[in-house]
Amino acid sequence: MIYSIVFKIKTEVSPMKKKLSIPIITMVLVLTITNVFVAAADYPTQPITLINPMPPGGTLDLQARAYATVAEKFLGKPMVVVNKPGATGMVGTLAGAQAVPDGYNLTVGSVNLTNAIEWEIANGRKPPFTRHDFIPIGSFTMSPTLFIVPYDSPYKTLNEFINEAKSKPGQLAFCSGGLYGMSHLPIEIFARAVGLKFRHVPYTGGGPCLSAVVGKHVDFATQYPPTSLPLVRGNKMRVLAVVGAKRLKSIPHIPAVKEFGIDAEYYGWVGILAPLKTPKAIVEKLREVTKKVAEDKTFIDMIEQPGDEVYFLNGDELAKYLDIESAKIAKLDAELVKEAPKK
Amino acid sequence: MDFFINILGGFQTAINLENIYYCFIGCLFGTMVGVLPGIGPLAGISLLIPVTYGIDATGAIIMLAGIYYGAMYGGSTTSILMNIPGESASVVTCLDGYKMTLKGRGGAALFISAWGSFIGGNLSVIGLMFLAPMLANFATKFGPPEMFAVLLVAFMLLGSLGTGSFFKTMPMVILGLFIGTIGMDPLTGTFRFTHGIKELFDGIGFVPVALGVFGIGEILISTEESLLRVIHKVRLRELLPTRDELRASWGPIFRGSGIGFFIGLLPGSAHVLSSFISYMVEKRLAKKPEEFGTGRIEGVAAPETANNAATGGAMIPFLGMGIPTGPATAVMMIALMIHGVRPGPLFISEQPKLFWGLVASMYIGNLILLILNLPLVGIFVNLLRIPFRMLFPVVLLICLVGTYSINSSTFELLVLIGSGVLGYIFRKLGYDLAPFILALILGPAMELSFRQSLMRSAGSFSIFWDSPITLTLISLSVLLFFWNLLKSLRSSAKRGE
Repeated sequence: MIYSIVFKIKTEVSPMKKKLSIPIITMVLVLTITNVFVAAADYPTQPITLINPMPPGGTLDLQARAYATVAEKFLGKPMVVVNKPGATGMVGTLAGAQAVPDGYNLTVGSVNLTNAIEWEIANGRKPPFTRHDFIPIGSFTMSPTLFIVPYDSPYKTLNEFINEAKSKPGQLAFCSGGLYGMSHLPIEIFARAVGLKFRHVPYTGGGPCLSAVVGKHVDFATQYPPTSLPLVRGNKMRVLAVVGAKRLKSIPHIPAVKEFGIDAEYYGWVGILAPLKTPKAIVEKLREVTKKVAEDKTFIDMIEQPGDEVYFLNGDELAKYLDIESAKIAKLDAELVKEAPKK
Repeated sequence: MDFFINILGGFQTAINLENIYYCFIGCLFGTMVGVLPGIGPLAGISLLIPVTYGIDATGAIIMLAGIYYGAMYGGSTTSILMNIPGESASVVTCLDGYKMTLKGRGGAALFISAWGSFIGGNLSVIGLMFLAPMLANFATKFGPPEMFAVLLVAFMLLGSLGTGSFFKTMPMVILGLFIGTIGMDPLTGTFRFTHGIKELFDGIGFVPVALGVFGIGEILISTEESLLRVIHKVRLRELLPTRDELRASWGPIFRGSGIGFFIGLLPGSAHVLSSFISYMVEKRLAKKPEEFGTGRIEGVAAPETANNAATGGAMIPFLGMGIPTGPATAVMMIALMIHGVRPGPLFISEQPKLFWGLVASMYIGNLILLILNLPLVGIFVNLLRIPFRMLFPVVLLICLVGTYSINSSTFELLVLIGSGVLGYIFRKLGYDLAPFILALILGPAMELSFRQSLMRSAGSFSIFWDSPITLTLISLSVLLFFWNLLKSLRSSAKRGE
């Protein structure tokens, strides 16, 4: 609320108002800071809002709600998940970046955030916010994608697939849940690691893409374990590899691409972010709580029953991971922009 | 034999006081969500997911499914009484439903709509029960080329949807198609017609547009003529359909059930497509097709039955394969996953209690909905006794709240008001609104599937006649095109005489 006032005054450029705005901004800032100091000691004293920039009902929503439910136990105050979807998460994340940094406004961060920001930068546009507008609190999943093919696909192993793809460059087609999204980029990374080219057919969501693999409308795809594994168990498709460095607990017999000497890592992470100016004491408290949540039995069950795995990174580790990840995606996006058809 | 044991087991699960209670809550909430314009089954199910954390998976899915098919019952209410579609699947119901209200037959329209929904709902559950294992694969056979062919047929039918001439319908279809292209192109990431306005990046949602052109437009028109409008004093026996109306509805109800069920299997906007195609089929079969759009009971019975029957069809790929074909079933799948159940091809055999319990609960739910909705007919019709000057501000408020509730976006409120003005102008000029909304909903899906097909085939058009499904559908649409052309040429020649 207060910030929106400041924001409004800043955007109006009439000199009269500019004069007036300086004392107002100072006053507002002083008030916020004192307010925050009082709040830090016995935080939290009121319900906390967790903004989920994705629509309700997705895996991200499921995990955010699991976090909120369990975090309540350790915070003693309710945590309310508010969905603010739009523009692949940009709308809600922007709202999260501009929220009052008093610890009562948190945002769900995910791999979508890195993708969207780097894509904007790669296209020469200025993103409305970057990861530096947030303090990472911690993340709790880090899932690799699975390399899937239709059940009666001629390729039984990853090597067979690669050999075939080499003999037909640019002819094998894959689908993704969305252009430059979390199921498109793993394949781009994989394709570059093995030096191959594929034909891309974007779909609007992971579900339609899975359906396309089962119905043999495409030759392969990468999708995340919770939605793919039931179809694999029902003999509707097969997994050739885990697109990552390590095998998964739930399918120990499936090799990771790293074992083939292919350096293609891409993970869908989900975590919690706080606006940049959130007081240090509150950030520490939230980081502590997030660690406890990630170790909580109820939480682990809620994440692992649908087929994911809990993989905790604390705030500093997440910040480091994001630095490396962003640099990697930035490089990839720059190449993709060059390859994209001219408009 | 196994089959009967399963069914009996299902009823044993469903006829348990707790599960009947969840089923009732779901149906009640679904009806409310359906009646309120703007809020659809998707929002309704998402809202109630946190409530299901405390109950077991069976109770949870019974309740959420209740919302899903319950919403299809409620959707017709505002369409019939106020010309505002309660759901996207009830847009076509406005055409004849509202005209019936103006003739004082609103009660009968609501009655038939509830009755048709009941029959359609039950028949589609029978379909789900017997055909689920067989048809589960069917949805995945529908790739981009097949979807394009289906939508092409739909568009050929769209041209003759309106009451007016072809030349009054086509501009509306084109306008709908154009508005559908606004936003980010999902296949290249290019922004189209957004002019740097962030709110347009996701495109223009059809809910604010539909509520605007239908709802706000209707309010604007009525301010002109509210003094002239006669309020029908409805007597109880006028609430019930006449014997003729009942007889005329049987055919549309049974055909609507079949059409709805099979279209429900298709990915995408199955409910919209099913209601619209069953309406068009009835119009084609009618002895006097020109009477459609003037308040024919068949025009209410067919789409309202079909959109309910589509729920049973849509459950098949979701429960039989673990592949949801629409947003509402996708959210239901997440709800099951929260409870540790992962629907997939083995779901029916591994979780017989859950699957058959759900199937049995759908029979009970449909019965609950019929009992719930028939008395409501009387109450809703009586709402029309409220003077327009009091009723319409409330309707305006409902449209505003309904729109805001979707994305909490003030921009969409502007879209709502803007489309209201547009709707007013269209009405004044005698253009049809339904083709506009349907083109807006189906257009982006058709473009997407067309381009996805060509991306798959690297530009070769042969992908559209390689499979028998597409070949049949594309031939059908070519036939329809020439038939339309011939008909409109003949009728304009007649007018020339």
